[in-house]
Amino acid sequence: MSHTAPTKIRNVVQVRNLAKAYGDNVVLRDVSLSVPEGSVTAMIGPSGAGKSTVLRCMNLLEKPDSGEIEIDGHVINARKKISPKNLAALRRSAGMVFQHFNLFPHMTVLRNISLPQERILGRSRDEANTKTMELLTRMGLGDKADHYPARCSGGQQQRIAIARALALGPRVMLFDEPTSALDPEVGVEVLEVMKELASEGMTMVVVTHEMGFAANVSNELVVMADGCIIESGDPRQIMSDPQHERTRRFLRAVLER
Amino acid sequence: MQMLQAIAVGLPLTILVTILALAIGTVLAIPLVAGLRSGNRLVWLLTRGTIDLLRGIPPVVWLFILYYGVSIGALRMSALQAAVIGLGLVAAAYLAEIFRGAIGSVHQGQWEASSALGFRTGTAWGRVIGPQAWRTAIPAYTTYGIGLLKDSSIASTIGVAEIVFMSNQYARQSGEGILVFFIAAGIYILLSMPLGMLSRHLDTKMRKAVAR
Ligand SMILES: Nc1ncnc2c1ncn2[C@@H]1O[C@H](COP(=O)(O)OP(=O)(O)OP(=O)(O)O)[C@@H](O)[C@H]1O
Ligand SMILES: [Mg+2]
Repeated sequence: MSHTAPTKIRNVVQVRNLAKAYGDNVVLRDVSLSVPEGSVTAMIGPSGAGKSTVLRCMNLLEKPDSGEIEIDGHVINARKKISPKNLAALRRSAGMVFQHFNLFPHMTVLRNISLPQERILGRSRDEANTKTMELLTRMGLGDKADHYPARCSGGQQQRIAIARALALGPRVMLFDEPTSALDPEVGVEVLEVMKELASEGMTMVVVTHEMGFAANVSNELVVMADGCIIESGDPRQIMSDPQHERTRRFLRAVLER
Repeated sequence: MQMLQAIAVGLPLTILVTILALAIGTVLAIPLVAGLRSGNRLVWLLTRGTIDLLRGIPPVVWLFILYYGVSIGALRMSALQAAVIGLGLVAAAYLAEIFRGAIGSVHQGQWEASSALGFRTGTAWGRVIGPQAWRTAIPAYTTYGIGLLKDSSIASTIGVAEIVFMSNQYARQSGEGILVFFIAAGIYILLSMPLGMLSRHLDTKMRKAVAR
């Protein structure tokens, strides 16, 4: 699992020369990244490094100023006009999980997961509900289907959010600090689910401060600082022998917490 | 009894003016909200100006303008039309502000989740943002509706035969001043109380649904 043959494996995600600024604030400068099929990429770095922005650019929640994003063969160039069809295809290929879950509070758990399937995949309500129940059961949340999200714990809500994204059959799952809003014990439930997903071969990009997850589950570690990728490679190797002073400082700070 | 009957004749028009003005206001509020949310500076400015103009002039003056002013020109309006349109336009301005606030109170993450899932804009509005904003807006919306019920009495000034108009007429004919208006007041209270109760009921019900 740790090392994949470089030639045969195709990249599900390719980010090329991404740049983005908010006014004078340059947030990303020339970020390039490849995510091979079935691999887990963990992204770490200090606050404000641009990790979330990279992730949000991948499914165009944020529009980059320049650069190219390719997910599962759907290419979007920031400098060219983005067709709605292409955008829809790209978003369909990428599932996203947010720090604060972002479940729809006015819908039951069942509707949260079924509605997108009906709207995006054109499934009938019965088909969608069947798929939803299958996913919920797998997550150990079968009894929550008729509850509203607010009645579920944070860990449950995040697993529901993961199920909602998975239900659309994405080629890659993007996670933005999925456990940061959770108590450590609760975060473990979510990390377990993610680990299982990884072992089933799901391609994943995970922005995280969970060093255990980065070390034990990810195949590739990407370290960002000041809008650049300053280091990337084998997670354990980077953690034990960081090449960059900035990485060293960051790791020290994280481990001392 | 005869007095009550005479006043109650105005009840249908009071209700009609209120409901029609609220309906017009609700429908017209939507383009106004869109204008307020527009990124186009000119559109925003025009919308802002329209809303401030509608709210800045007393409703009774709007009714006079529509009934006496516009009616002189090509557009002839009946008193009822002028009342419904005038109160409806003013309602649109206030409701636009209520709706805008309610939409703004929906968490940004709801938009992000909708986009990330691939919802079209229409779906995001119709299924995610709209319903949540509507829930937030209900208390202010019904409060405005109850206010409108009372403000519909302004229509009496241009001769719409609603409750206050009928009360006035009866008071003049019979010489019984104060009692007539007590009865009119009672009718307004009886009309608005169930609305207030319904609003509170809806509000708690929806709060229960989404909160623990
Ligand atoms: N919508 C926005 N408007 C203006 N500036 C923004 C916006 N979003 C992010 N930024 C800025 O972009 C920079 C990078 O933000 P980003 O959220 O990508 O960092 P991050 O690495 O995810 O940090 P954290 O660990 O705190 O989540 C920050 O300086 C932030 O202030
Ligand atoms: Mg972030």
